[in-house]
Amino acid sequence: MSGKIPVTVLTGFLGSGKTTLLNRILSEQHGKRIAVIENEFGEVAVDHELVIGAQEEIFETANGCICCTVRGDLIRVLKALRKRRDRFDYILIETTGLADPGPVAQTFFADEDLREDYQLDAIVALVDAAHITQQLSREAIAAEQVGFADVLLLNKTDLVSAAELTRVERSLRAINATARIIRTLRAELPLAQVLDLGAFDLNRALAMDSDFLEPQRPFEWAGVYHRAAGRHDVHVGADSAGHGHGHDHANTHEHHGEHATAPGGLSAVGVVVLAAPAGAGSAAVEGIAATLEAATALFGQAAEPLAPGANLLPGRHQRLSLSAHDHFGLLLPAAGHWLVYTEHAPLEFGWRLQGEAPVAEREFGSHHHDSAITSIGISDARPLDPNKVNDWLSYLLQSRGADILRMKGVLNFKGEARRYVFHGVHMIFDGQLERPWASAPRTNRVVFIGRKLDRHEFEAGFESCVA
Amino acid sequence: MVRAPGSAGARLLRRARLQLNDYPADAAWSADARALLVAGGQGQLLWVDLVASTPRLQVLGVHQGGVLAVACQSAGRLFASSGQDGEVRLWDAKTRESQCIHAGDEWSEQLAFAGHGRLLAVSTGRALRVFDNTGTVRAQLPDHSGVIAALAWRPKSHELSAVGNGGAHLHRLEPQVQTREYPWTGACLTASWSPDGRVLASGMQDGAVHYWNIAADSQSQMKGYGTKVALTSWSANSRLLATAADQQIVIWDFSGRGPEGSEPRQLAAHTARLTQLAFQPQGTLLVSGARDRRISLWRPSQSIEPCDADLLSDAVTLLRWSNDGSQLAVGDQSGALSVYTLGS
Repeated sequence: MSGKIPVTVLTGFLGSGKTTLLNRILSEQHGKRIAVIENEFGEVAVDHELVIGAQEEIFETANGCICCTVRGDLIRVLKALRKRRDRFDYILIETTGLADPGPVAQTFFADEDLREDYQLDAIVALVDAAHITQQLSREAIAAEQVGFADVLLLNKTDLVSAAELTRVERSLRAINATARIIRTLRAELPLAQVLDLGAFDLNRALAMDSDFLEPQRPFEWAGVYHRAAGRHDVHVGADSAGHGHGHDHANTHEHHGEHATAPGGLSAVGVVVLAAPAGAGSAAVEGIAATLEAATALFGQAAEPLAPGANLLPGRHQRLSLSAHDHFGLLLPAAGHWLVYTEHAPLEFGWRLQGEAPVAEREFGSHHHDSAITSIGISDARPLDPNKVNDWLSYLLQSRGADILRMKGVLNFKGEARRYVFHGVHMIFDGQLERPWASAPRTNRVVFIGRKLDRHEFEAGFESCVA
Repeated sequence: MVRAPGSAGARLLRRARLQLNDYPADAAWSADARALLVAGGQGQLLWVDLVASTPRLQVLGVHQGGVLAVACQSAGRLFASSGQDGEVRLWDAKTRESQCIHAGDEWSEQLAFAGHGRLLAVSTGRALRVFDNTGTVRAQLPDHSGVIAALAWRPKSHELSAVGNGGAHLHRLEPQVQTREYPWTGACLTASWSPDGRVLASGMQDGAVHYWNIAADSQSQMKGYGTKVALTSWSANSRLLATAADQQIVIWDFSGRGPEGSEPRQLAAHTARLTQLAFQPQGTLLVSGARDRRISLWRPSQSIEPCDADLLSDAVTLLRWSNDGSQLAVGDQSGALSVYTLGS
């Protein structure tokens, strides 16, 4: 590892703030001598002697495999720069807005010249908070950039409402469960959050989002309301959402056009209402934890459709049919704390229950995906058989390598004192035994990010590895 | 000096070693083989005079950011340099004066003088220009589909070949410009003409060697390399094509019906990736250099064992035979330049 020059790749659509970030990095006092390779020309304002323009050049192979595709421009420029390495100690690559991060990342593993002298540090994707929803629905490459990233800079956060920001963050999370999401204004953030992250370095601990690794739930949100007995008005639709965040969806979901639908293009949404268990009222969050399984079980049952004006009742799986604005009722048999579980986040269909805001709420991993790219996480403590793991991963790389953008994991091998750590980019795979578990709980954590991934397939594959 | 046990034949005799205080990125022998022009990766253009008993080093100029390439006329007194400053300069070895013949943002990475010495080919990204020896553009050739990775004049002709992503172009310059395309899916990295001018071979990024037998209007490919093939070189008699990928040298025999269906010879001499490979311009020796700091001398037509080897102080960055094949210049990453002659 020593002596290799770290490389950070900046991706993101035009206008997402890559150049602003680049200029900030170059003008800041960080003690690093940074060379920049720019695929997007003429935007860096700083007159910096180590800014090199290079037009993106994709090297394809005769066999047509996308996993073998590398970036010729990077090989060429980085080879030449290596000869003057005493004058810089860090590389930043600014890709064009439309660049596929796959070949960029692969180049650092597949090309010997680069592999020997450079270490890919991390892929940082800038996301324009105001436009990413539209970009994700229109441009496949936007989801690829989000899917490949180690860090997602959710930039221009001043241009959207807090509610919209939460929604955007959830859709990013659905694509990429492991990236660190950082909200920024004008790409302002401590540089330690984007440089020297070691995201591809097996010797460093893998940071994973612990929320994501929970079992997936059939609902995205739970709220605890304190309400009197009787009927309470439920309003769904754009008017009740408060910030009118729906209008940019309206553009992107025109294909739903048979009848007017709620923001988010949803035509119906499942809801389950449960009473908070006795004693959980004062600690409302515990009420959610205590009813999770009951709610999950109810969501597993067939839903009864509910027309506008009808009442939601506790203990049932009901499905509100949605149009632009509608009213329903919630009929409660007694006063107290009541839990409402919703299939989609409340913001997505403009849910509002008459009266005070919930006393507690919690979000769960998104299970519906706007994008063809999703994350699958598996967390399981059972010890694995290394040979079976090898068979499984080999099979995945060969059969699904083109669809898997990134994979990473920490594995608990039976009879092995050390943890096995791996990561992969398409068909490129690197894994090794790392530091001992010692007193840490021995558990497997694996994440796959890719196209058309079937959760059941991955779970079955994992199951086949249990020792 | 490290000697391979039981070796017979040619030996490497080091006659000079000097510190350049720069990265030896490229080099070219002067036509009379009395001096060496070295491209410093950190920016210095160096002239090493080898006539005196102690070599003399002179800084001719600077290409800000790094010198990318140098070339010398094989007969005559002109040489050329290009750098990361975007300039191409044409020099007079006698007066040590230069003129800038091209300037731009994009790097000019490949320079090649025609065998007759009157023309200089310069590639700048996808663009290819040919200058005469007054520095005037004689031809602007059609752009390549990708960045030009290598240039080579076809021996015994007025044809210039350029390779890159997507295959090769062959430009005939006289009586008028005429371009033939040789498309191939994949990225060509090298351009090596057999000295008889019949076959153009190219190492590929995807671990193969592609060749066009221009004379016979056929093409073929040798696969099975584990990594990209960044080095190719022909023996003087046009029979053997030496190729290298990673730590392996693979020799293909083009005599008779070969190389299709033939088993290549493999020379395993290095413990790290090869960086340089060059057949002697006249004669039968092959020299290889690698990141294991070693240079090895071979006679592949006779043996798969090296004749001799030497250990340098750092990874080998360049190997250049003088035009008559009697001297060998070797650069390593520590910034040292060594010059060898051959003994027996």
